[in-house]
Amino acid sequence: MFILNPQSGIPIYRQLLDQVRRMVASGQLPAGAALPSIRDLALLHAVNPMTISKAYSLLEAEGILERHRGKPMTVASQAPSRAALSTRLQQIAPLLDQAVLAARQLQITETELAKALHRQWEESNDD
Amino acid sequence: MMTSPTIHAAHLGKAFGSRDVLRDLSFEVMPGDVVGVLGKNGAGKTTLLELMLGFTPPTTGEVSVFGHPSRRMPGTVKLRVGFVPQQDELLDPLSVRDQLNLVASFYPDWDGALVERLCDEWHIDPRARIRSMSMGERQKLSIVLAFGQRPQLLVLDEPVASLDPLARRQFLEQLVELSADAQRAVVFSSHIVSDIERLANRIWILKEGRLDWQGDLDSLKESIVRLHLQCAGGLPERLAIPGLLSLRRLEGGAVAVVRDWTQAAQHELERQIHGCVQAESLGLEEIFLELHR
Repeated sequence: MFILNPQSGIPIYRQLLDQVRRMVASGQLPAGAALPSIRDLALLHAVNPMTISKAYSLLEAEGILERHRGKPMTVASQAPSRAALSTRLQQIAPLLDQAVLAARQLQITETELAKALHRQWEESNDD
Repeated sequence: MMTSPTIHAAHLGKAFGSRDVLRDLSFEVMPGDVVGVLGKNGAGKTTLLELMLGFTPPTTGEVSVFGHPSRRMPGTVKLRVGFVPQQDELLDPLSVRDQLNLVASFYPDWDGALVERLCDEWHIDPRARIRSMSMGERQKLSIVLAFGQRPQLLVLDEPVASLDPLARRQFLEQLVELSADAQRAVVFSSHIVSDIERLANRIWILKEGRLDWQGDLDSLKESIVRLHLQCAGGLPERLAIPGLLSLRRLEGGAVAVVRDWTQAAQHELERQIHGCVQAESLGLEEIFLELHR
């Protein structure tokens, strides 16, 4: 369900955080959907349970997940599935950073990059 | 309610003759912590673990386990501590079964069912003679003996050096089980950085007898980054980069590794070089190597 790479420079809890946020934002994890238990996820990936629980707690604080006594955590019913635009933009900021950097290296102007993005957007709509 | 630390050490030091092996170490281990101890050969990892367990007296400072000085742990406290040494302490003439029964007799909380299951899953034959077992099999048995005690504190010194990847993974899974209730503490040293990266939430990096880094693995990964500096006009001769560990100049820029990195420092550096800076996060192995350049 999740892809966790312990050898990555990105801490495991952040990898999980980002993936749950994205899956909830996209509706892939709908309101009420149950998440795997901390223990199961930790065992599956052979990682420290505390790193999983850290991610879950942060997601709970953000209002994305709900905790239930003795039951699995679920996606919150009024989950900010439509998170504020600023939040959603923040999530793709790292990808934009990379695109901007690559554009600078290739001496592509801001306008040219914006045009290319627009074309890409239109093409992906056609699919 | 305040949770009291499982291990507490203040200004701990150890010298053998005139040689300082460990100097001025202060740390705490809390219930639920899984501490990974990293260091080059001879950095003092084994000595540190032995000091914690009270096998050898400190030259300076103090260390206590469950509130008792390590050298004077009452018997009831010792029963809560499990240890897997680098050199196993199995009794050659015994069979596996006899060795298991012997150790079980010391521990009132002995988990016989767990030991049976692990022996089965890890292919340890209870009828085998210990003297005829391979290094890897002996190491597996030592680990099973420690898990069987259901220790509140488990200390392991290079526990997986002789294990194959499959056995290592089984061992890691068992450590996850052990730490899942967040009540127990684990301290383990290993040269297999990827194992530590999976299991540890706290990292100690020993360098020349000192704790060069102690803290969360997550903070470590967020703190030490590789910077790619690019500026069309060429890099200034003099650069002021806080926390610089290494710098390599290249055509049109440089690659630098820094510690205690912040977003603010990144903006400051971009202004300084009139160019752009990209931060790349590093895996634990690369961080370890960078800290030892």
